[in-house]
Formats: sequence, structure tokens, C-alpha cells
Amino acid sequence: MINSIFLQFLTGIQLGAIYVLISLGLALIFGTLGVVNFAHGAMFMVAAYLGVVISQAEWGGWGMAIVLVPIILFVLGLAMERGLIRFFYTRPHTDQILVTFGLAIVLQEALKWGFGANNLPFATPDWGSGIMRLHDYLPFLEGFVAYPKWRLILTAVSLITVAGLFALLQFTTFGLVVRAGMRDSEMLRLLGINISQRFAIVFALGVSIAGIAGVWGGPVTQVDPGIGMVFLVPSFLVVVIGGMGSLPGAVLASFIIGLAISFSATIPALANIIVYLIAILILLFRPRGLMGQKGVME
Amino acid sequence: MNSANSAFYKKDILPVGAFAAVLLTMPFWFEYVGGYSGLDTKIVIWIIFAIGFDILLGYMGFLSFGHAAFFGTSAYFTGLMLLHYSDNILPAIAVGVISAIIMAFIIGFLTLKRTGIYFSILTLAFGEMLHSMVLSTLQDWTGGDNGLTGLPTPMLFGLKMQGDNVFYLTVIVAIVMYYIARRIISSPFGLMLKAIKSNQVRLEYTGVHVARYKLMGFVISAVYAGVAGALMIVYEPYVASEFMGWHLSGQVVIMSVLGGVGTLFGPMLGAAFMLYFENVVSVTIGEQWLLVLGAIFMLTVIFLPGGFVEAGSKIKKKLMGGSK
Repeated sequence: MINSIFLQFLTGIQLGAIYVLISLGLALIFGTLGVVNFAHGAMFMVAAYLGVVISQAEWGGWGMAIVLVPIILFVLGLAMERGLIRFFYTRPHTDQILVTFGLAIVLQEALKWGFGANNLPFATPDWGSGIMRLHDYLPFLEGFVAYPKWRLILTAVSLITVAGLFALLQFTTFGLVVRAGMRDSEMLRLLGINISQRFAIVFALGVSIAGIAGVWGGPVTQVDPGIGMVFLVPSFLVVVIGGMGSLPGAVLASFIIGLAISFSATIPALANIIVYLIAILILLFRPRGLMGQKGVME
Repeated sequence: MNSANSAFYKKDILPVGAFAAVLLTMPFWFEYVGGYSGLDTKIVIWIIFAIGFDILLGYMGFLSFGHAAFFGTSAYFTGLMLLHYSDNILPAIAVGVISAIIMAFIIGFLTLKRTGIYFSILTLAFGEMLHSMVLSTLQDWTGGDNGLTGLPTPMLFGLKMQGDNVFYLTVIVAIVMYYIARRIISSPFGLMLKAIKSNQVRLEYTGVHVARYKLMGFVISAVYAGVAGALMIVYEPYVASEFMGWHLSGQVVIMSVLGGVGTLFGPMLGAAFMLYFENVVSVTIGEQWLLVLGAIFMLTVIFLPGGFVEAGSKIKKKLMGGSK
């Protein structure tokens, strides 16, 4: 009994960890720049493909992939913000959605062209394969309890990323400027701070987190051209449930969703729609989301 | 009063007449531009969908990413009616459209309180919820991934609904619905929709019950989606699960924006262009047609927010300017 509850809990946390990684960047970009990036899922997809290519290349390997993919995605995000998104700050919000949606299609179709429509195998590295015998460490478990090692590593990576981002925003000057920019960017400009440059970096940072999600999450999800859109919708829901623009809210919502999915898994008819049901309940009874600021969306 | 009214009608005669003439003669010229029979019917169905979508996006200013929900709901109910009740299309279409209307009231109630990006995200989410329900929770009724198969040939009072019969049925429906859309747009109600687009808050302060108008606008656009979904099943008696998916929602967004929203004419043009591109031009381009279309779409959003219609008026202006 305790074993199955513990395993469901662990699975929920692990699912939540993936959702955190994917939606954190989305929430960050939305919170600072007010841009809804429909291409965010596509960024995750690009990162997963890069992960496959680099980890299996002769010159590459897993260590290389872990380091390179987030950096490449950072550069990609920088290019995307400077080359495309910045022209859309003054345009209607729907135009931002449309152009990022178009970009998502282009990226998706380009990858389909290059790699085909099928799922690419993405093997975990040797040091991350196999299972972990949890009963050796946790005495309250009865008998033999094992869990895939990679999923535990993924959870740890996710938590470290969250901690890192919070530290960056809370304890550095850069973070201070960005947080101030979220409050009142006009005032900051008046003070002579180059906020657009910071915002470009924030955008790239958000995309880079999607890169981390892609390379670490790729082995447990799938690597096919449809994967970006598959994860885009739940990560939007995470942001809605957590509260638009709230990073702690996104983290909380991710774990709630993960746990809800894992504990409802015995009823498949429910498990598939539980995320939406939670979102509907939140919308009806707390429209600003769990940790959204007062007045937003109310 | 009478003369004003007839002036209104006169304003509609020319565009609706031209629209009717183009559609009705389609079987005679369509194959000369590379089309084939069957594709014309599909284009007309999508035109109906796009007209309704433009009322919501172009006139009311709400970008829905979940309109497949209404197209799909209607398609499934139409299919279920044909399968279990009767092969007569009239009750099937009626039930299909009514189901879309009910769905629009529910989703509209939940999503319309938000505007802009929130509305887009939420409609996308609800659309995907229905999609995943069709695939899993409701698969005993919907056939899950395989879709609803084994439908009988749809009939209309002893007339088999195949080939030309379906084509002329959809054309007649399209002409009527285009006319209705024009009347809606030029009515006081249409003015309210435009006012919602330009400034919802100010409209609210003038004492207008904005929520009711928004819901009506939303439901009207869902009726068009529902009619299109039902006709799609009459055209091809098979309900694919993709009819509920975001791909379909995305498609109607793309065609509307390509053509030029807020013009009625633009989205119709976009629908025709997109289907022509997907089925005829794709033969030359190959499998990358969607990549090319995505790029065209992006370029349109960036440089030509008014779509083909804006391009047309720009060219016209230039020619006029040149001749002076």
C-alpha cells in the first residue's frame, strides 16, 4: 500500500518536473515581456532533436549535448527576439500569437523534412540508464521498489534549474533590473537603463530553459515533429492555473498537474482530461490563477 | 424607411450575385486551373467555415484557436445521426449544428470573459480537451483514433448525396450564409461587434451589456463552423478525429489571416487559396508544401497584416497613382 502511494507520488513529482522545465520559460517570457510564445513548444522540439544529433555524433556525446544544447538555444532565442519578436512589441497581441504560431509550423515542418515524421530513438547515457533501488535508501518502503534512474535525474535537473532561475532573479543585479522592468519598464527607461537589452537576454534565457527541457526530457518523451505542439497546450495550462506571469505559480501548478495525472492514472478516462478539468475549476473560481497578481484576468 | 431598406438590399445584390456566379460555375472552369471535382466542394465548405470565423476574428476581434471544437462536434453528431438514426441529411445536419451551438454556449461562457492572448490560449485548451476526449474518454461513441467509420451514403429525400448533388447543396448553403453574414455585419448588431473590437471597456461604460453581444458573436461564428462540419460529413461520410484537433483550428486561422481578416471576402479567398495550395500546388512542391505555406503565412503577418486584400488595394493604389 505505502509502496504504490509512494510510487504514484514520485511519478507525479517527476511528471511535474517535466512540466516545470517546459513551462518555466514560457512563464518567464510572458511575465517579463508580455509575449505569448506559441513557438515555445517548437523550441523544446528543436532542443530534443539537437540532443539526439549531438549525443549520437562521432564528435559529440552526452556530455557535449548537455552543455551545447542550452547554449545553442540561448543563441537561437537571442536571434529570435532581435530578428522577429522585438518588432511585435508595439503590434496587437494577436499578431504576436500569429507570427510565433507561423514560426512553430515552419520549424516543425523543417524538422519533418530533415528527419522524417517518425519518432527518433533517444537513448539515455550509460550513467543514467537502468533503475535505482529505492528501498536501499528509504527504509519505510516494503520489499523491492525500483525506479528508472533517468527520471530521477530529470527531476533533480528540473529542481536545480528552478533554483538557479530564482537565484538569478532574486540575488543578482541583473535579476533586480528584470524584476523592476516587469513592474514598470517605462520608469526604468527613464532612469537610463537599457531594458530592451535585458529583455532580449530574458527571452533567450526562457528559450534556453526549453533547451534544457528538450535535451533532458527528450529520452522520456518522444522525439518527433509533433512533440512541440503536444507539450505547448499543457504548458499553457500550467501558466493559466499558476497565474499568468507568476513563476512560483507555474512551479506549483506543474506539480499539482503532475500529481493529479499520476493519482488519476488508474481511471484512464479521467487521467486524459484531468488537466483541463483543473484549469476549468481554476477559471471559474479563481480566474487570476493560484498565485496570480490581484486584478490580473479578473 | 422603405427606401433605406431597399438600398441596403441593393448593396448586397452585386457581391452576393458575383459570389454565387463564381461558385455555381466552378465545375465548368475549375479543372482548367488544375483543380479536380470534389476539391471544389471542399473549398466551398471551408469558405463557409472561414466566413463565420471572420465574424469572430475580423469584426469582433477575438482570435480563437479552438474552432475545431465546433466543426468537430457538429461533424461527430452529424455522423452519429447518419449512423444510428437515419441516412436523411436534414435531421443529421440539424442535430450537428445544434450540438455546435450548445458547445459554443458552454465554451463561450468559460472563455469570453478574457480577451486577447488569454482567450486564444483558453480556446486552444478547450479545443484540445475535446480532442483528447474524443480520442480516449468517449472512444466507444467516437471510434477513437480510427474515427467514425461505416456511415451510410447520405440521402436527401431519395437523392443520393454524392458528387454534383453535394456540390450544389454546399454552394446554395454558402450563398445563403454569405448573404446572412453580410446582413449581420451591416446590422446594428454588427456595429456592436465592431465596437467591441475597437474598445470593449468604453462600450461597457456606455451601458451596453457587452458579455451578451460577445456570446452571440461567438455562437454565430460557431454556427458557421457547425454547418461546415456537418457538410463535410455529407461530402465524405467519415468522421476523422482530426476534425477536432488544433490543426484544423490552425488552418482556419491561417486562411483567414492570409486572405485578410475583417473583410469577409479575404478569408473566403484565403480558404480557396489554402485548399488550392494544399491539393494542387503541393503536387509541384512536394511534401514541403506546409513548410512553404508556413513561411508565406509568417511573411504575411510580418509585412502585410491585411493579407491578400491589403495587397490588392495597395497594388490598385499604385496603379492608379502611376496613371495620374
